[in-house]
Amino acid sequence: MSLTETQTTARAHTGPDWDFITRRAKSILVHGIVLALVGIMLLPLIYMVMMSFKTSTEIAQDPLGLPDSLYWGNYMAALSSMGYVRSVLNSLGITLSVIVVVVFAGAMAAYPLARLQNRTSRVIVMIMALGLATPNFVTITPIYVIFRDIGLLDSYLGIVLAFAALKLPLAVFFYTSFIAAIPMELEEAARLDNCNNWQIFWHVIRPLLAPVTATLSLFVMIMVWNDFIYPLLLLTDKDKLTVMIAVYKFVGNTGIDPTKLFPAAVLGSLPLLLMFAVFQRKIMAGATAGAVK
Amino acid sequence: MRARRSLYLFTFPALLVIGLFFIHPIILTFDMSLTNYKGIGEANDIGWRNYERIVARDRYLNEIWLTLWYTVIVVSALTVTGLFFAAMLHRLPLIRNFSRAALYTPAMMSFVVVGYIWQFLYSPLNGGINVALRDLGLGAWEQNWLGDPSIALYSVAFAQIWMFTGFTCAIFLAGFAGIPEEINEAGRLEGASSWQRFRYLELPLLGPSITVSVMLTTIGTLKTFELPFILTKGGPDGATRLLSIDIIDNLFGQYKFGFASALSIVMLVIVLAVAFLQNKVLRDREQA
Repeated sequence: MSLTETQTTARAHTGPDWDFITRRAKSILVHGIVLALVGIMLLPLIYMVMMSFKTSTEIAQDPLGLPDSLYWGNYMAALSSMGYVRSVLNSLGITLSVIVVVVFAGAMAAYPLARLQNRTSRVIVMIMALGLATPNFVTITPIYVIFRDIGLLDSYLGIVLAFAALKLPLAVFFYTSFIAAIPMELEEAARLDNCNNWQIFWHVIRPLLAPVTATLSLFVMIMVWNDFIYPLLLLTDKDKLTVMIAVYKFVGNTGIDPTKLFPAAVLGSLPLLLMFAVFQRKIMAGATAGAVK
Repeated sequence: MRARRSLYLFTFPALLVIGLFFIHPIILTFDMSLTNYKGIGEANDIGWRNYERIVARDRYLNEIWLTLWYTVIVVSALTVTGLFFAAMLHRLPLIRNFSRAALYTPAMMSFVVVGYIWQFLYSPLNGGINVALRDLGLGAWEQNWLGDPSIALYSVAFAQIWMFTGFTCAIFLAGFAGIPEEINEAGRLEGASSWQRFRYLELPLLGPSITVSVMLTTIGTLKTFELPFILTKGGPDGATRLLSIDIIDNLFGQYKFGFASALSIVMLVIVLAVAFLQNKVLRDREQA
């Protein structure tokens, strides 16, 4: 904003324009200060990456210094004993399954809620709101007991269903506000062609949902990938652990040993951070979707 | 009309999953809360005794207050830090997108990872914060951040504030983007300073964003469990023993499923009550 302003004032004068120079200096200073503050906020992450490349002697002698060289030994040790690849595949499989369930069931449920306003729809919306507000450790005890009794403990199916129930309310809210904005005329034309509800949903509504599905999927992915308590309590089989549980078991079993903690933290976050780098715009749009509504 | 009614069939798969794995568990939680169920064996009906114990003991009332106090600290701080960064970045389009994404990065990470990083940053001897203070010649400010009962709660809160500042900042930036440019233009012509424009023009118009941000962060913070679980396990001396920590401890530390269920129901009632009150107060204020 101030750039165009200052340029026009600058042209009106001859000789050194002190007003222009002070404004310019002020602008650079403000940019510098804000960038520095953002940099300070990033320090813990920089610290994490830096520490992951240090040997234990380096950490003991110079806890804050830069590593002498990129020491990959910590990563080698972590990769060989935390079951990383397996846990990434588990997390990926669980996350994608949850997304499929949540997207299909969520979009379907949202369609009538967006189109009909009566007591039934209000009750369903209330149930969804309850779902959004309920902490997951309130339902974890009975889910644990139910799963134990029907044999879903330690199964992929069980944890996918538990996560789906947890994330469906969010999906329903996402889709309801999105479908409500789709003009009715599109559907009415199809109805005149004798399409039934399902055909209208599948051929008219569903194709329009791609953008909101993308945002929702990224959101669900972040939450499921990072979740701690469900996989901690519902999965015990070593071959079924998710990434975060693998990190927790790897670090937690040994006290806090920085040569284990930091590479495990980096490895655990890396897949999502890479995804964030690629889909940054979509994720930021989703993060603020609630605020715009 | 019949065709429209049958639309509700579409909600069946979602309601089935939610019914089986959300509503049903909540009902079971309530059932269990009236028993002394230990996870295995008989569950004896003991009426409201679990609830009587919660109300009668200072320990649980203190945990409830601690949970609420923790939420107040985190939510107020997140509102202020988010507003600060958003107000600055709104005025600095050149670095806006980069900074927004950079600030948001911690929110993309798991509580487990964030907990571990801060556990090491806070550790008394070689931890990053104390070493940095020593290097800066501020050795007198060194603390046992997580071991001192008088500051442990604030140390945990700080990690959470660090994690979600980018989240509130993103919400407020969206709010700023929705303010018509003419309003600021008018303010500038009147000679209002940047601060005056923020205070008297932008802040009042950010009402809806503040409502959304406060409500989302409140519910999220009330549910906090992972950070204190990793950082302090409720210690030292109960200084960070939030209600959620005690629920998990009763559950998987002591297998008191019945009592943990009663605590869970209390937790649920608190979350719903706070969400309801907040929604009412903030929406009314917005309309006023």
